[in-house]
Amino acid sequence: MISPEAPWDVVVIGGGNAGLVAAITAREKASRVLLLERASAALRGGNTRHTRNVRCVHDSGDQYTPGAYPYDELWRDLRAVGEGPADEELASFTVRESASVPGWMTAHGIRWQPPLTGTLHLGRTNRFFLGGGKALVNTYHRTAAAAGVTVWYDRIAEGLEFTGNRCTAVLVSGGDAGDPERIPARAVVCASGGFEANIDWLRRYWGSAADNFLIRGPATNDGRMLAALYALGAAQAGQERGFHAVAIDARSPRFDGGIATRLDSIPFSIVVNSRGERFYDEGEELWPKRYAIWGRNIAGQPGQIAYSIWDAKVNRLFLPPMYGPARADSVAGVAAELGLDPDAVAATVAKYNESVVAGSFDPSRLDGCRTDGLTPPKSNWAQPVDTPPFYGIAMRPGITFTFLGVRVTADARVRTVEGGAFRNVFAAGEIMSGNILSSGYLGGFGLTIGTVWGRTAGAAAAREAVEL
Amino acid sequence: MTDAGMTDGPFAVPFAEADRQLTICNACRYCEGYCAVFPALERRVDLTAGDITHLADLCHDCRDCYTACMYAPPHEFALNLPAALSAVRHHTYDEYLPRLTWPAGRRGAMLAAALAAIALLAVLGVIVGGAGAPAGSPYRIVAYPALLVAFGLAAAWSVIVMAWSAARYWRATNGPGWGGLANPAVLARALGQAATLRNLRGGGADCSYPGDEPSGARRRLHHLIAWGFAACAASTVAAAISQDFAGDPPPYPAASAPVLFGVIGGAGLVIGCAGLLVLRRTAASSDTASSDTASSDTPAREDSALARRGYALLAALLVLAVSGLLTLVVRDTAAFGPVLYVHLVAVAACFAIAPYTKFMHVIYRFLALVRHNSELRQR
Repeated sequence: MISPEAPWDVVVIGGGNAGLVAAITAREKASRVLLLERASAALRGGNTRHTRNVRCVHDSGDQYTPGAYPYDELWRDLRAVGEGPADEELASFTVRESASVPGWMTAHGIRWQPPLTGTLHLGRTNRFFLGGGKALVNTYHRTAAAAGVTVWYDRIAEGLEFTGNRCTAVLVSGGDAGDPERIPARAVVCASGGFEANIDWLRRYWGSAADNFLIRGPATNDGRMLAALYALGAAQAGQERGFHAVAIDARSPRFDGGIATRLDSIPFSIVVNSRGERFYDEGEELWPKRYAIWGRNIAGQPGQIAYSIWDAKVNRLFLPPMYGPARADSVAGVAAELGLDPDAVAATVAKYNESVVAGSFDPSRLDGCRTDGLTPPKSNWAQPVDTPPFYGIAMRPGITFTFLGVRVTADARVRTVEGGAFRNVFAAGEIMSGNILSSGYLGGFGLTIGTVWGRTAGAAAAREAVEL
Repeated sequence: MTDAGMTDGPFAVPFAEADRQLTICNACRYCEGYCAVFPALERRVDLTAGDITHLADLCHDCRDCYTACMYAPPHEFALNLPAALSAVRHHTYDEYLPRLTWPAGRRGAMLAAALAAIALLAVLGVIVGGAGAPAGSPYRIVAYPALLVAFGLAAAWSVIVMAWSAARYWRATNGPGWGGLANPAVLARALGQAATLRNLRGGGADCSYPGDEPSGARRRLHHLIAWGFAACAASTVAAAISQDFAGDPPPYPAASAPVLFGVIGGAGLVIGCAGLLVLRRTAASSDTASSDTASSDTPAREDSALARRGYALLAALLVLAVSGLLTLVVRDTAAFGPVLYVHLVAVAACFAIAPYTKFMHVIYRFLALVRHNSELRQR
């Protein structure tokens, strides 16, 4: 045993993708690296457990990503979501660095698989790792253990201790001692994620609507380290209401429901709110480019709930929902089963059906099957909802992660409100995603941010520790 | 689940649980790259009991989907698909046996078949006698006609029961008709996948067996058993050819085909069975032990009754292989007679009981692979 007083070279807070990548990278230069994982071994990995692919620049296709995805195209895609990148310099660095991410992952044990079926046409732009996020976490733990990284489970980083501009220790609870332990450190990487599971914090920006949000990742993502950094004078990055949220089944568990609760029926259905009225163009764009706006769309509706309603014609065009849909022989019947006003929904569907312009339905592209004279319109995949049986599912906003975080420098140092930066505190992953994302999201880019900035922060922290 | 066939009675619980878990898997699909189970699942929306049986036998129990599952216990979804599918296999292995009115059920039928085979061997051995055979010949112990009849009857019984079970299984999982069984290309692909244990490769990641760490040990040991078994069969065929066509009766010299095949096959069986028995014990203890890995504080990953059948099959094969090798070792000593007799009794008994054991996984898994490859071609 090393004396508890001997400082660790690098302490990484958080055991998701960004933290693991940072720890593995730091260990290449620094000899004593400690990773603090808040969960037990069985539930380790935070939100990363629910990921499945990574979006990276590649100049040619291969067996896992058929077709090139050049820098300019990813950059364009990133600028097109929400209000575009918050900090263009850091965002373009992320996109540039993404090109080397798959190779780095392979070199550290990650295996790949061909694009999953029914995954929103992500095959060309996104690389799928074999087995999904928990397999990735397991692999990185193996790699980290082989490299000599120490991991402590069930530990919560409560705060940081400073001497001047330099962090000297991490205060950690959850160990055998009742009070928080003081873990001396030469450099610290904060990779502890957003605050999406902290409903009180969400309520500050969303009011009581936050009470109706479902959180797709673990309940432990309460932003404790983010709050501690703000209290120490860290500068804020990102929008207060910035988050990645999708439409998920209203019956999902409050926390940690992950991918299996997501609904992909929207582009082939019509979506009504609790008054039975449509409120947004369901067929605006290909689903991969629009799935991430529907959490926000539903968050803006009364009661933060909406209902996807479809008919037998399209029932097999999307992944079968985990809890199964409500089903009836009439639209009014489905509405009644969903607890909606049957007359209102029937009237909405009738009006929609009348406005559908005949066209050639094709789920694989923007098919131009649209409505005419309807507000809001449905711009693609519009077909009359007229073939029984009819189906419906209630949906809630499923919050994946929040963007509001800490501002960082180009080498991932946490900036301060005074204009400088902490000497030896770095950030990676969701906790600094607000430097790059504003209000919209691009599928698979969270893993890209985590890997690029995990490498950057890990390397910078190790340099800092070794030079000290 | 829409099929009423097995949704009540003793099969309700394992089928309902597998259905619950597979529905979540079908909404997730992260494990698609590991094996054939997930692509096969994704072609289905409403699962029938036949579908679930099919998926259960496609599962080669590599357990990679379990270690990769973010919904594994202690998550509230509590997914443990390898265990759920092994529980289904446990039930269906009996379900497709011919309906016997044997009062003591499967074990009674097994015991009766084994005793009948042993008795037949003994009685015929006494009646025919082996005094006429030359010194060193196995036929001094049990005369050739007696062997032929006793083993022939036991094998015929076994083949009939297996074929009967296979036909019932095929009807339940595939429906009427020959389906992919009549398609040589499908059969060839299924044979190739069975021979290489492709579905035990975890999409290149190898198995999470016996613990959470990836390992090829189980696949390699299984290869030793399967190919060892084949080599023992080849030894028997080679001996038959030598005797009946080349006019060269046993015993055979060490450098002959029957002895070489027998030694290589027997050695493969001994190493493979002993190795898998050790892995099984390790797997069982790592299911319950707590260690510093991802998913160790979790329930068992295999149905316990099916696990017992796994032990039994390995133990039986080990007895066959060890007694067979021992026969060769002691063939110039006084022990030859008793050892050979034990070996023959073991072989006859194993022939007779094979359809009631986990040996049937060979047939059910192969039929599942045939159906799977047939579906792949239709797509």
